[in-house]
Amino acid sequence: MIELRQASLVYKDQGKDLYACRHINLTVRPGEFLGILGPSGSGKSSLLYLMSGLKSPTSGEVLYKGQNIAGLAEPERARLRLVDFGIVFQYPYLIGYLSALENVLVGSPGVGTRERAQELLLDLGIGHKSHRLPHELSGGERQRVCVARALLGGRSVIFADEPTASLDHTNGLAVVDLLVRHRGEGALVIVTHDPSMLTQANRVIHISDGEVVNEETSPQIAPTGLHRETIGP
Amino acid sequence: MRRILTFSTYLVRNGGKSLPLIGVIVLAVLLIVGIVALMNSIPYSIRTIYKHSKNYTGLVPRSNASVDFAMRKEIRDGAPVPIEPILVIRGSQAQVKSIVGGWPFVVLAMRQDDMRRYAKRLNITKIEGRYPKVGEAEALISEPVARNLKLKIGDPLLKPDNADAYSMFPVKIVGIAQTDYWTMMMPYEYHEKYHFPPYDSALVFAKNPADQDKLDRWIHEKFRGANVRVFAYFLLEEETNGMFRILYQILNVVIFTLVAVITLMMAMLINIYQSQRIQEFGLLQALGYTRRDLIRRVLGESIAVVLVGWILGVAAAQGMLQLVKSRLMDPNAFALDVWDRSALLYTIPVPVMIFLAAVGAIWSRFRTFDPVSVVERRLA
Ligand SMILES: Nc1ncnc2c1ncn2[C@@H]1O[C@H](COP(=O)(O)OP(=O)(O)OP(=O)(O)O)[C@@H](O)[C@H]1O
Ligand SMILES: [Mg+2]
Repeated sequence: MIELRQASLVYKDQGKDLYACRHINLTVRPGEFLGILGPSGSGKSSLLYLMSGLKSPTSGEVLYKGQNIAGLAEPERARLRLVDFGIVFQYPYLIGYLSALENVLVGSPGVGTRERAQELLLDLGIGHKSHRLPHELSGGERQRVCVARALLGGRSVIFADEPTASLDHTNGLAVVDLLVRHRGEGALVIVTHDPSMLTQANRVIHISDGEVVNEETSPQIAPTGLHRETIGP
Repeated sequence: MRRILTFSTYLVRNGGKSLPLIGVIVLAVLLIVGIVALMNSIPYSIRTIYKHSKNYTGLVPRSNASVDFAMRKEIRDGAPVPIEPILVIRGSQAQVKSIVGGWPFVVLAMRQDDMRRYAKRLNITKIEGRYPKVGEAEALISEPVARNLKLKIGDPLLKPDNADAYSMFPVKIVGIAQTDYWTMMMPYEYHEKYHFPPYDSALVFAKNPADQDKLDRWIHEKFRGANVRVFAYFLLEEETNGMFRILYQILNVVIFTLVAVITLMMAMLINIYQSQRIQEFGLLQALGYTRRDLIRRVLGESIAVVLVGWILGVAAAQGMLQLVKSRLMDPNAFALDVWDRSALLYTIPVPVMIFLAAVGAIWSRFRTFDPVSVVERRLA
């Protein structure tokens, strides 16, 4: 579905090239839950920006359904994020003057319906707070609104960049769980430095210094599987 | 931007920000209309008070005693358009009031028939009271004059102790003509007997009022350098325009400065408000809204603010002018044009400049804008 071929993202650091991602080859398969694990500064976010089209690779290619994303014009690339991809950012950014429900709808204008958005918020446990403005919600509730925003409209890939960073451990796990349960047919890509968030993942890749250093595959999606022992807390 | 984010969403839900912006524009428009309309009211007053001169060409002798028979014959024979019989009249000085002080006004001393012909020419059909009688110390004035000088029937228009409007005997008002024209009349015979200097002037009417201007210009050319002074409406216009040219140039500088100050202030405000929205813009772009979507929306918001502000400003200005007119100007018959077009034109730079400032702010913001820097919290 998404394929990275020798994709690199290079920042200029005082004239020197700094590889945030270095020659990465990676495929995201339809419907899978892919975890990306690595320490701070290893290039996880950069990788996610490459996959979601928020950044274009300095070299190499990123393909979505066989199409080179970097070759698309800005409006088409933007359309991918509006329609095909759902993204949950590390910080639960919401628009301050829109209600929770409107904030969900804003992510997929013309596609997501009010009823479906309300349903999602209900499933996420904040259905009765959908009329509230963001400043009337707790951090965890805001993050759940962001999750609903990314889910609405039936996305084919959902990205989440440290979706749990601003939450305590329990709430973090809950958010991941919500993503897993409500993603429908969509693939799920979660970036984190906390392996305990990835116990349900089909696949986990480890990155370090912008390179993929290890890949684990789990045959089952179970909270008590092989993963709990290998990479669990 | 469909459904959830229309251009009014932000404005309506952030009244604390959009109302001050609109308020500044309203006040600016109010201020400019006020200044310009007040300024315009002065030449407008001149045109209103002396409008009666649109109806005739006046000839006043300079060094020989009267606009004599030969001169009148020259006009009758040579006039380029058909004319009415020439009115031979005399004139006496009086004064009317304006917002900038007293202005001279002539009491026309006319014979009985001539008074009625003149009144007919000014379309005067209704008179409260009556015409002055032959040789009596009596006067007829028009309604605006009565209001302006606070005179009613029985009051003296001219009197011995008034240096600006003198006569040996009190000249009492016996009639008030219902017309917009400003006019004062008294009997020729009284003037002949008691006023000085004793010279005749003439009023020349084109048969067709539409030809008056042509006649004015012809007489003006004809008697250039002659012993007669020609009064005509186009000369009044020329003189007024010349008089106010410099004043209007100063006005332009003042308004320009005002617009510059307001635009600068608004540009700063707009810039602040937009930087407070960096997060929103970054988030929306990261979610898949294009730069064009965002720019279109912000421009829509700017247009809405600027238009609403301007329209409210114009409405407020209109209300203010109505109030000033009815409370301050009308009771004194001072002229003020409530629907002053040029005052409205002077306000157009306000919305235009503020809109351009907003465009500038938007352009410089979105030129180098990376949504990733927002979602990564490197900005905002
Ligand atoms: N705009 C930038 N300019 C220069 N260098 C950058 C920029 N953004 C990221 N980097 C560098 O690229 C590398 C990878 O950054 P990235 O944000 O992808 O790391 P990360 O794995 O997401 O880290 P964290 O877990 O702390 O979020 C880091 O060394 C970082 O300093
Ligand atoms: Mg990161």
